Amino acid sequence: MSTVDERPTAEAEEPEGPTNRPEPSYRLREWLSRPYVRHILIIFVILTLAIIPAAWLVIHFMNLSGAPASDIMYEIERTMFVFTLVSAPVMAITATILLYSLLGWGRVHGEEPPMQESPAIRSNPIAIFGWIGATSLLAAFLVIWGLVELARITEMSNGTTRANQQPTTAKPLDINVTGQQWLWTFEYPGQQSITSDVLVVPIDTPIYFNVTSKDVIHNFWVVELGVKIDANPGAITNTGVTPNKLGNFNIRCAELCGLHHAYMETQIKVVTQEQFDAWVREMGGKKFV
Amino acid sequence: MSTDVILTSDIHEQMAVHQPKQRGKAGGFLRRTNVLTGSALGIVLSAVTYAIGSKMVPWGTQNADYSQVGLNALVGATYVAWVIGFMIGIGAFAGPVRWMLGHDITHDDSEYMAGKGQGKWKYWKYTTDHKVVGLQYLVMALTLLGFGGFFAMLIRTELGVTWAEVFDPNFYNSLIGTHGIVMIIAMIIVVAGPLGNFIMPLMIGARDMAFPRLNALSFWLLFAAVPPLLSNLLLGGIRDGWTVYQPLGAQAPVGMIGYQICIITFAFSTGIAGVNLITTIVTMRARGMTWNRVPIFVIGILAAAIMGLVWFPMYQYSQVLAFSDKVVGSSFFIPQEGGSVWLYENLFWLLGHPEVYVIVVPATAALLELMVVFLRKPLFSYKVAVAGFAGIVGLSSVVWVHHMYMTGWAPSAGYPFMLSTELISIPFGFLVLVMLGTLWRGKVWTRLPMMTVYAVLWCKIIGGITGVYLSDVPVDQYMHGSMFVVAHFHFMLMGAGLFGAMGAIAYWFPKMTGKMLHHRLGMVGFWVSFFAFQVTFGSMFVAGLQGQPRRVLQFDNAFEISNWISTIGAYLIGVGMLIFLYAIITSWRSGTIAPANPWGAKTLEWQTQTPVPLENFPVLPVVTSDPYGYGVPDPYDSIELKLTDENLKVGA
Ligand code: HEM
Ligand SMILES: [Cu+2]
Ligand SMILES: [Cu+2]
Repeated sequence: MSTVDERPTAEAEEPEGPTNRPEPSYRLREWLSRPYVRHILIIFVILTLAIIPAAWLVIHFMNLSGAPASDIMYEIERTMFVFTLVSAPVMAITATILLYSLLGWGRVHGEEPPMQESPAIRSNPIAIFGWIGATSLLAAFLVIWGLVELARITEMSNGTTRANQQPTTAKPLDINVTGQQWLWTFEYPGQQSITSDVLVVPIDTPIYFNVTSKDVIHNFWVVELGVKIDANPGAITNTGVTPNKLGNFNIRCAELCGLHHAYMETQIKVVTQEQFDAWVREMGGKKFV
Repeated sequence: MSTDVILTSDIHEQMAVHQPKQRGKAGGFLRRTNVLTGSALGIVLSAVTYAIGSKMVPWGTQNADYSQVGLNALVGATYVAWVIGFMIGIGAFAGPVRWMLGHDITHDDSEYMAGKGQGKWKYWKYTTDHKVVGLQYLVMALTLLGFGGFFAMLIRTELGVTWAEVFDPNFYNSLIGTHGIVMIIAMIIVVAGPLGNFIMPLMIGARDMAFPRLNALSFWLLFAAVPPLLSNLLLGGIRDGWTVYQPLGAQAPVGMIGYQICIITFAFSTGIAGVNLITTIVTMRARGMTWNRVPIFVIGILAAAIMGLVWFPMYQYSQVLAFSDKVVGSSFFIPQEGGSVWLYENLFWLLGHPEVYVIVVPATAALLELMVVFLRKPLFSYKVAVAGFAGIVGLSSVVWVHHMYMTGWAPSAGYPFMLSTELISIPFGFLVLVMLGTLWRGKVWTRLPMMTVYAVLWCKIIGGITGVYLSDVPVDQYMHGSMFVVAHFHFMLMGAGLFGAMGAIAYWFPKMTGKMLHHRLGMVGFWVSFFAFQVTFGSMFVAGLQGQPRRVLQFDNAFEISNWISTIGAYLIGVGMLIFLYAIITSWRSGTIAPANPWGAKTLEWQTQTPVPLENFPVLPVVTSDPYGYGVPDPYDSIELKLTDENLKVGA
């Protein structure tokens, strides 16, 4: 027999559990009285509280350039906010156990394998089912939240519903968006097809975009309004938004489209209805009806 | 279910079977071939092809498009000639040709091919021994990581110099694409290649892989695929990112052909490697190694091999069709001529997503395997880990459209694919549970491999949470195509993938090289990289939140500060990685000699001697339990028991 045949034959079975287990409430109390459990719970709560402000931080960074300038963007930010809150405990529990493992349960240094073994915990049904249950609930919440929000912003971008759930009465303003290497063109078919390389839109009016490309794929991203859709050659894609904040915002191309992709930027000017009408006249179009 | 391993050598000894006659010296033609003859023949054959081809291409025609097609075809033929020439020159076809001539391979031939008696030369030849192939993969992966890392430094330099263009924008775009695809290839092979080949057969108690010659084939195909890819930078570049969306890719100069030939060849390599790994794991496990005694690392390799085998052909085919668009002027993906850009995107992401798991799963499995050793505890719930891998393999095939939410293709597909994508967090959570459960109450032996477990879990949680954001369609409507995405996937691919791979390499380094990895240097390099990584990509999240698109070399002033921070962090990652690499190289060359089982581990690979003999084990091992029999009975259990007895007494 050679040495390789001598497989270690340590018990694979778990230590036999007691036949008369104490009552669950007693066992819970016993578990909670263990020092490491207490420490972990305390660190967990502290870390969760410490991570929660990240939800505001995330929104803060998104709002630096003037967002949200539409209800869609508002919904996006709300989702980011809620998801960050929900993730805080997940992140905290992981970080807690990592920290505690490094600092709390003891360390061994040196080059030789340690002599002392750790407790042979092979399984723990409560932990397993608790974890699976918790993560499944969490996933279910995220999915349902996402599905509902997706339905909402889809309606908003089609211009049929406002955030207050009232069907809009305003007629949407159609704009044809064309990407080409490396600029954007906006055509206003309802305004005698005036064209512009800056997007000018009236506030509180549903806008409906018909997006296409002359050459390669671009992506039409109106940053602070939360609008994004690919501009594909050979196809027209649609999306929409109702701007609700006056000002100048950014339009960027969000799909690599070759040499000057980085410079494929322009602006969206959200103006009042009167300013918009004036602009249309100035560009030679008819008054928007 | 156990498998008997029957060796050709045993058969020859035990039975008087007909032996093929040895003609000439063992090895025959293969005595004369190596990487140099391969490269030479590859270069000659491609030069000849180019010379003949350039006479045939109608340079003079008026039609500009046509001559472009001609040039593409010429370059394509040249690259194909390189691959074929190289493979002939290194002797890949020696075996099949001999069969066709009616000469069987003798036992001596096989031993020659496995590298017997060739000293160091065997690493430069078409060698079949899985240990040689494993080390070849290791060096290849490290080399590719070096290239990718260098490109990353150039990219970050451009992004840090916010006041000027350092590179020509076309070159910059090519850098991004080349960095991306080089890193992806490196990360696909970095665990499954070296450790899947060197360690896995030892771990299951086998003498080699199921198909040793296919093993050599898979490595040398990969080797042949790399020069075409890197040469793209000299031929106009791939200016399209690693995804090479069409029809932008169709506009690219001939460098694109190099990318396509590389992917097509590399896909053959992974397919062959996948078949080999799967067959080995299924059929060659030691006697007694039933499915619930298989080390978890082996399960991870199996999962990754299955995903690669099933989905890689999609990517390969997308490149075959794109290649055809370029060299014969077809229009699969050119909408102006009736093609579909969405078809390309679908084919690409059908692999593109599972590939992320092909990268992350083996690294995770390796950490599960090694952490028990440093905690002296059994793996927490082996079955949950297996279920986690199984769930990932299953779900990974139905989530690819989350990369296409914003393409305008099938907007309603957002609903089901958001569902499937978020469901993946459940099996992913299984793996986190197993890791946390294994850490639970364990005393840590603070060696380098164990330290990567902490790093990886941290990165994985951040990558996972930001991944959940991105899988949500409304959020993706803001984040898609932004730096947020880039930061997210680096947390997964680099944070969870590369750091995990570093841990795995550090852990098995003694077995593979016979030397101990320098602990201090390794630790310094690793921790510097880790903290610098947090800075680099943490700050990239901020740029993304603020609205910086990805793949841009100039941007709004608003993003300057976060980009400066990222660039400084990136240089520090570079420093850390160089230290780590230096640790690997010096330890390999002149480190302390490693004992056979330096970590006191229980899996089979540590039970054989170091350096591992040609056929791995003097006598094949027999397995009687799973390899996780560490630990002592839980002291709390006995307390509980005592209390119960007292309770009973009091109650009575
Ligand atoms: C030193 C570490 C690294 C740094 C500093 C780094 C940095 C970067 C940067 C700045 C980009 C371009 C972002 C953009 O503008 O689009 C990028 C892209 C990318 N990186 Fe890395 N990276 C590193 C390591 C890795 C690793 C280990 C992988 C593993 C797979 C990887 C995979 C990718 C991929 C796939 C892309 C996308 C390329 C594309 O857009 O087509 N990187 N990286
Ligand atoms: Cu672009
Ligand atoms: Cu994906």
